[in-house]
Amino acid sequence: MSQSPRFRGFFDIGRAGAIAALFCRRGSGIAVLSAVFVLALSTAAFALEENVYRQIAGLDSRKLVWFLAQMHLFFGAFVLGVPLFAVLIEIVGWKNKDAKFDKLAYEFTSLLSVAYATTAAFGGLLAFSLFTLYPTFMGYMAGMFKDVMILYAALFFGETFCLYMYYYGWGWLKGGEPFPRRVQLALKVAGAIVLLIGAIFFFGGFGPKMRGDTRTFMTVLYILPIGVGLLLIKDRKGVHIFIGILLNVFGTAIMQMANSMAGFMMSPAGVSEKGELTGTAWQVFENVLATPLAIHRMMGNLAFGGLVAGAYAAVKFIGSKTPEDKAHYDWMGYISNFIAIAGLLPLPFAGYYLGREVYSTSAVMGNNMMGGDFSWTFIMQAMLVGSLFLISNYYLWSGMTRIPGSERYYKYIKYILGAIVISFAVWLTPHNLPLTGTEVSQMGGTQYHPTLKFFGLMPAKNAVVNLIILATFFSFLLYRRGNKGEMVPISKQGKAPLIAIPLAGLIAIVIVGQYAVYLLGLDPAALDLPADRAGYFRTVGLLLTFECIAAVVAVILALKDKGLLAQFVYLGTTAFSVVFFLGVYGFVVMEKASPFLRNIAVAQFMQIISCLVLVTAIDIFLFKGAKVIGPLKWGKMTARSQYALLLLTIIITLNMGLMGFIRSGLRSDWHIFGVMRDTSPWSYTPSNYTMTQMVGLAVFVFLVGVAFMFWLGGIAAKKGKDEKGHAPTEGGDASVSNKKDTGEA
Amino acid sequence: MGSVIGRVFIVLIVVISSFLWVGYAVTSLTGGEKKAATAVEISPEGGEAIYWGKGRCLTCHSIGDNGSAVRCPNHGVWGDKFPLAMGARAVERAKEREKETGLPYTATDYLVESLANPGAYVVDGFKNEMAVVFAPPISLSLDEIKAVAAYMQAQGGEVDINALNAPSEISKKFYDRIAAASAAGGGDPGHGEEVYSSQCAGCHTIKGKGTALGPDLSAIGLKGLKPISDSILRPAESFTPGYETYTVMGKDGKEFFNSDGKKVSGVKLKEDADSVEIAIGAGAVEKVPRSNIKELVVDKNKSVMPDDLIEAMTVKDFQDVLAYMLLQKGQDK
Repeated sequence: MSQSPRFRGFFDIGRAGAIAALFCRRGSGIAVLSAVFVLALSTAAFALEENVYRQIAGLDSRKLVWFLAQMHLFFGAFVLGVPLFAVLIEIVGWKNKDAKFDKLAYEFTSLLSVAYATTAAFGGLLAFSLFTLYPTFMGYMAGMFKDVMILYAALFFGETFCLYMYYYGWGWLKGGEPFPRRVQLALKVAGAIVLLIGAIFFFGGFGPKMRGDTRTFMTVLYILPIGVGLLLIKDRKGVHIFIGILLNVFGTAIMQMANSMAGFMMSPAGVSEKGELTGTAWQVFENVLATPLAIHRMMGNLAFGGLVAGAYAAVKFIGSKTPEDKAHYDWMGYISNFIAIAGLLPLPFAGYYLGREVYSTSAVMGNNMMGGDFSWTFIMQAMLVGSLFLISNYYLWSGMTRIPGSERYYKYIKYILGAIVISFAVWLTPHNLPLTGTEVSQMGGTQYHPTLKFFGLMPAKNAVVNLIILATFFSFLLYRRGNKGEMVPISKQGKAPLIAIPLAGLIAIVIVGQYAVYLLGLDPAALDLPADRAGYFRTVGLLLTFECIAAVVAVILALKDKGLLAQFVYLGTTAFSVVFFLGVYGFVVMEKASPFLRNIAVAQFMQIISCLVLVTAIDIFLFKGAKVIGPLKWGKMTARSQYALLLLTIIITLNMGLMGFIRSGLRSDWHIFGVMRDTSPWSYTPSNYTMTQMVGLAVFVFLVGVAFMFWLGGIAAKKGKDEKGHAPTEGGDASVSNKKDTGEA
Repeated sequence: MGSVIGRVFIVLIVVISSFLWVGYAVTSLTGGEKKAATAVEISPEGGEAIYWGKGRCLTCHSIGDNGSAVRCPNHGVWGDKFPLAMGARAVERAKEREKETGLPYTATDYLVESLANPGAYVVDGFKNEMAVVFAPPISLSLDEIKAVAAYMQAQGGEVDINALNAPSEISKKFYDRIAAASAAGGGDPGHGEEVYSSQCAGCHTIKGKGTALGPDLSAIGLKGLKPISDSILRPAESFTPGYETYTVMGKDGKEFFNSDGKKVSGVKLKEDADSVEIAIGAGAVEKVPRSNIKELVVDKNKSVMPDDLIEAMTVKDFQDVLAYMLLQKGQDK
C-alpha cells in the first residue's frame, strides 16, 4: 500500500499535531453535529479516489488545522480535567459535611460552563475545516469510524445534559431528607449489580476480545464509578454527585473514542495494506495506541485542569481586597496545585508506557522520538517539565510560610533546591554539542565534552529525573508535617494502620518483587546478549530484592512506632538504589550489555512507585491526630507564589502543545502510518522554531480566551450574588478563614 | 483588577517570548524542516545524504565523533570496541560470515546483508533491533540502500559501486528480499516469518516446516502479490483445488459431530473402505468410521481456511507476512 498509486495524493493533516487533536478530548455538540452532518453527506472513500486538497485564502491548510485543533484540544482538556476533581471535592465536602469544599467544587464547575461552549465553537470550526480542506482523508476516516462516530455524537448529548444538570442543579439537589429506605436499598442493589457486572467484565466474562489495558480502563473509569456512585446515593445530594460521575463517564468515553482515532493514525488495525476494512469496527477502534494514549491524557488532563483552575485562583488572589477573599483563593490555589501534582507525578510513568507502545508499533517511530528528529524537541520538553517541577516545589516552599512550625524544615529547602537544579542541568545536557569546526578543533577534535558528555546519556538522565521526582515528594512530605507537633504513636491508633501499612508494604513489594523475579530469571538470549551477561541482570534483580527487604524493615519499624526512621530507611534505600547505584551502574551496562539499559529504567520506575506508595501510607498514620502547632494562615502568601502558579499554567500548556507536535510528528510522512502516505505540499516535519511559533500562538490565544471567559463568569457570579445576596451554592456563605484548618486538606 | 490582568499579560508575553527564543536558538543550531530526500545517485555522497536524512541511520548510529547516537554500533573508529571504520570492518566481518555460513562473502555482501537482514549478524553487546529500512516509515528504495552501502564502503574501505550494481549471488538474494518487501507495501519478511509461524504454520508448510493440512506454500511467491493477498483476505474466493470443505453426514442424515461436540467438517486427508480422515482445524484430525457415515458432502466454494484470519493481524503484520510469502519461490533462501 505504501507504494500504491491509489494513495498518491493523500495528505497529512496530522504531522504537526493537527489530527492529534482532531478528535481529542471533548469536543462539543456543535462539533459533533457538524461532523455527523458532513459524515452523512460523505462516503467512505477508502483511499480509492484521487485525493483532494483545498486551501482557504492561500493559507497553509496544515497550519490552520493545527491551530484550530490545538485550541479545541486545550479547551477540551480543561473541560475534561475540571469535572474529574470537582466531583471528588464535592464528595469530600459531602462526606465531611464541610460546606467550604462544596463551595469550591461549585466554583470549579462554574468555570466549565463558558469553556464548554467555547470548546464547542472550536470543535465546529475544526470539523468544518477538516472536511473542507481535507475531504478525501476525512471521507476515509469517516468510513473507518462510521460506527464509532455515531456513538461519539450520541455521547455528547449525554455529556451536555449531565453538565448542565450538574451545574444548574447544584442548589436544587443539595440535600434535604434522606430517601426512603426501600429506595436506598434498591439503589444499593443496583450499584452492587453494576459492580458485579464490572468484575465479570474485568475478568473477561463478556465483551469483545480486547487488550488488558483497555479492559482495565473501561472497568476502572466507567463501570466502577457508576457502581460506586449508585451505592453513594442516599439523598438528593447523592443524586447530584451521581450526575457528576456520569458527566465524567461521558467525557472520558468521548475522549477514549477521540484517542482511538488519533491512535489509528499511528497504529492502524483492522485494515488491509490497501486501507480496506478487513477486520471489525472494534479492532479499528482498539488499535495498539488507543488506550495508552487515553491513559496518558487522563492524567495530563487532570494536571492541566488543576493548573488552569490554579491560575484562576492566583489571578483572583492577586486582585483580592479582603483577607477573606485572599484566604479563599489561596486555599483554592493550593488545592488546584495539589491536584496538578497528583496528576504530574504519575504522568512520566504513563508517558513511559505510551512510549513503549509507540516503540512496539514501530521501532523507527520509537527511536525517532527521543533520538531522531525530535531529540532536541525533547530537550525543550525537558526544560519545560523541569521548570514545572522546580516551580511546583517553589510554590510548596512558599506555602510553608503560612504554616506555623514549618520553620523547622526551612533548612532542608536549600538542599532540595540544589538537588533539583543540578538534576535539571544534567537533564538538559545534550550528549554531543552542535559546534562549529573551530569549536570542535578547540575541544580536541570532538563534539563531546570530556566530562559533560556522560550527562547526556540515558543512565545519567534516568537518575536525575527520578531524583527530581523524589525531591518533589520530599518537599511534599515536609509541607504536610509543617505544623504537626507531638505525634500519636501508630501502635495506639487501632487496627487501621495495622492493616493499611502492611498492605502498602505488600503493594510495594509486589511492584518491585515481581520485576526482581523477572530479572533474576531473564535469559540473556531474549535480549540478544551472550549468556555471560546474565550477571548484569542478577545484580539489578538482587538490588530489587534488597529494596523488598527494605520495605519489610520499613513496615516493621513503622508498626513499632518508629515511623520517621521507617520513612528514612525506605526513602534512603530508594534514593541510593535508583539515583546513585543504578545511575552509575547504567554506564557499565551501557558498555557491556546495552539492550539491558531499558530494563534498568523500568527497575528505577518500579522502585520510585513503591517508594511513593509505602512512604505516603506511613506518613498518613505518622501524623494522624498529631498536635497542631497552629492553624494554617490561608491568605498569608506572597504575590510571587501566585505568579509561580501562573507560570505553571503557561508552561504546562506550552508543554502540551509541544508533546502533541512530537507525537503526531512521529508518523513522519504518513497520514495513517503504513497505509496512507502524505504527498501534500506540507509533507515535511516543521522546525522547532515553527513549532514554538504555532504552539506559542495557540497558548497565547487560549490563555487570553480563558481570562476573558473567567471575567465573563465573574460578572455572572457577581450579578447572581447581588440579586440573591449569596452565591448559589449549598455552602455559599462558608468562609475558609472561619474554619479551623489543620492542613489535612 | 485591571492592573493585575496587565501584569499577568506581561508574564504571559515574557514566557512565550522565551519559548520562541529557545525554538529559534535550537533551530539555528540543529537545522530546520526535515524533508524526505528525493532520489539520489548510488555513490558515497548519495548515501551520506540518506544516512543523515531520510534513512534516519543517525537515530541509532554515529560515525566516529559525528552524531550522538549510541544505541547501535558506531560506524567510525570509536574506542577499543571499534578500532576499524565500517568500510574496513566489513572486510573482517565478511570473513566471519564466510566462516559461519560457508558462503563466499565479500565486504559488499556483508554490508548489503547488514542493511537487508540486520539480524543475521548482531554485534556483541547490541540488540537485534535495527529497523527494516525498506519498510515504512523509512521505506528506502533499492538504489537508496545501495547508496548507503557505498557510503559505508567509503568509511575506511574501498568504494566498489560495480559490486553493488552487479551483485553476487549472496547480495542478489538480499535484493530479492527488498524487492519482495517493496511489492508487499514495504513489509518486513523477518517479522513476517514470525507472523507466519503463529498464524499460518498450524495448517501450512514451507520447506517442510509446519503442519501439512493445507497446501504447501514453499513456492507461493511465484503466484505474485495479488493472489497471495486475496487468499488471506478472502480465502473462500481463491483456494487451491483439492482443499475443498467436506462435511460428514451421520447415519441420521444430519451433520456429524465428534465426541467433543465439534462438527466434523474440513479438508479430507484420507479415505478408504473403513474410514475417512477429516482435518477439522489446525492440528486436529478426526477419523470417522464408515459405519457412522451416510454421506460426505463437499462444498466446492468453501475453504476451510478461516475467513477472519486478517482480524488477528495488524496492517504491519499483514504487510510483513506478504513480504515473507513473496520470498517463497521454491528454492532455498
